[in-house]
Amino acid sequence: MSLPVIQLENLVFAWPGQSPLLDIEHFTLAAGERVFLKGPSGSGKTTLLGLLGGVQLPASGRIQLLGQDLARLSGSRRDRFRADHSGYIFQMFNLLPYLSVLENISLPCRFSAMRRRRAIQRHGGVEAAARHLLTHLGLDRPELLRRAVTELSIGQQQRVAAARALIGSPELVIADEPTSALDADAREAFLNLLFVECQAAGSSLLFVSHDGALERLFDRSLSLSELNRATPDGGLD
Amino acid sequence: MYLLRLALRSLLNRRFSALLTVLAIALSVTLLLGVEKIRTEARASFAGTISGTDLIVGPRTGSVQLLLYSVFRIGHPSANMRWDSFQRIADHPRVAWALPISLGDSHRGYKVMGTSADYFLHYRHGRDRALAFAEGKAFADLYDAVLGADVAREQGYVLGSELVLAHGTGSVSFVEHADKPFRVSGILEKTGTPVDRTIHVSLQGLEALHVDWRQGMPARGAARISAERARDMALTPSSITAALLGLDSRVATFAVQRDINRFPDEPLMAVLPGVALQELWSLLGVAEKALFIVSVFVVLTGLVGMLTAILSSLNERRREMAILRSVGARPRHIFSLLLLEAFGLALAGALLGVGLMYLTLWLAQPLILSHYGLFIPITAPGPWEWSLLGGILLAAVLMGSVPAWRAYRQSLIDGLSIRT
Repeated sequence: MSLPVIQLENLVFAWPGQSPLLDIEHFTLAAGERVFLKGPSGSGKTTLLGLLGGVQLPASGRIQLLGQDLARLSGSRRDRFRADHSGYIFQMFNLLPYLSVLENISLPCRFSAMRRRRAIQRHGGVEAAARHLLTHLGLDRPELLRRAVTELSIGQQQRVAAARALIGSPELVIADEPTSALDADAREAFLNLLFVECQAAGSSLLFVSHDGALERLFDRSLSLSELNRATPDGGLD
Repeated sequence: MYLLRLALRSLLNRRFSALLTVLAIALSVTLLLGVEKIRTEARASFAGTISGTDLIVGPRTGSVQLLLYSVFRIGHPSANMRWDSFQRIADHPRVAWALPISLGDSHRGYKVMGTSADYFLHYRHGRDRALAFAEGKAFADLYDAVLGADVAREQGYVLGSELVLAHGTGSVSFVEHADKPFRVSGILEKTGTPVDRTIHVSLQGLEALHVDWRQGMPARGAARISAERARDMALTPSSITAALLGLDSRVATFAVQRDINRFPDEPLMAVLPGVALQELWSLLGVAEKALFIVSVFVVLTGLVGMLTAILSSLNERRREMAILRSVGARPRHIFSLLLLEAFGLALAGALLGVGLMYLTLWLAQPLILSHYGLFIPITAPGPWEWSLLGGILLAAVLMGSVPAWRAYRQSLIDGLSIRT
């Protein structure tokens, strides 16, 4: 249990033939921790998320998730590792428009047997787990479940996305600007719900945003610009 | 399988473009299968129209032409053969039976054929099937007529109905034999051959119609001969159109054919129905191949349309792919998803195409029969049709692997980053 969820050591990433975009000496996210990572455009945020997702590999240095060195896994094993252990919430339009609310939430359990198993262990079934999360996120009105996801408000859509990230209790939830489309009141409300559910699921939360107004709510706050020793050319985000 | 469900839901979400793609494939499949169906059924139907006849005899002309007008009632005879020639051939020692055929009149578009009552005994179709009477019997009286099944059904004729024959073979004729109406004495069972659309009368009856004709025109006024007076006249025809021969043994076929081809009094020819059919196929073979190739290309065009539709949708679906990747779909899932999409579109297109083909066939069956004397039965797809359909699906999967591969590459590059 004491293994850090994320551990980066001397991580360097560069596209072939270009100067490094990302150069992080040290970063750790402990189990159950909620960390705010402030990253304006061009700070290498997208690249870091790609590395944490195992979609890209570092040029040098080490990236460990739950003690597992991602560079040592094959591409498809990294994909499976990501599916099993992390949930994602993006800025907006997170949902597949052609699936219902419940089907959208259940998606990770379709691709990860481990998360399906955990959902069944905790709630007796995938759909039960989805309904449980929806209830806790304040979306339990039955008419909402029947509605097409595109008819939900943005705030409701983000809560559905949060439920999808949390289903099957992954160790890590990565949120990439999930609140930037919400108004100020809705942001705090959304965050509080997210915190409670992350705690209930035992997930650590890495929250990336350019908006520093929320950082006071987290256990710890870091700035990617300070963390990153490389100086990316701005435009590349 | 969940991916299949995802692929279908995604397609349903783009149902308008998906529907157009399916429709394009369906129409091309309809065309291909329809062409193949008509091709094979036309062959079977043609081959099954005449059996048991060893030789077709007629005035010297093309063998295909002789076959077409004597058996299929297609086209018009360019010359006749003399009655005494027919009698001499019928008396040939190896000839078991000889059926005269005399064409040239019609009734409401149906061909009228003068023959002898033996026709109903000896004519065979399909696999040696004889003609059978659904009602009544062969013509006995001078003005009796035996109707093919379709004539009776379509015109609502029953035994005893009277019909007026018309001169010439057009569907609209201005010269009718109104003074000598015929009475229905028998109606044949359906055969699926041109027999169904033929009105059979005796040679003498046909002769009686024209007994008072001079130089191809009906007599007028006092020169007209009434139906009753015609009964007392000599009604032996001077010529007939063609004759069907049955021999006492197959072995004699070539000898009798040679004798007829060297007939001293009149230029005649005898053809083997099978050989004439083969000649017909070789004439039609080029057209058949061309038709097949064109329909294959139409199917390919339909599939290329599908390829275009999927490829052009890829860019706007990068977000969809990234979402799937973020919830754990691997690149090979993305590949399979796109491949299943292509397969699903092609399968839906193929199924709809098969349905459309049968619907068209069902609607066109009576028209084809009445216009071309061709009966296209509605039967389940045979091995050849199945292999064509399988080939189409295979081609669709091969073509679908192009967008699938592109989406695969794209999802590797895009990763989890969502682009608008």
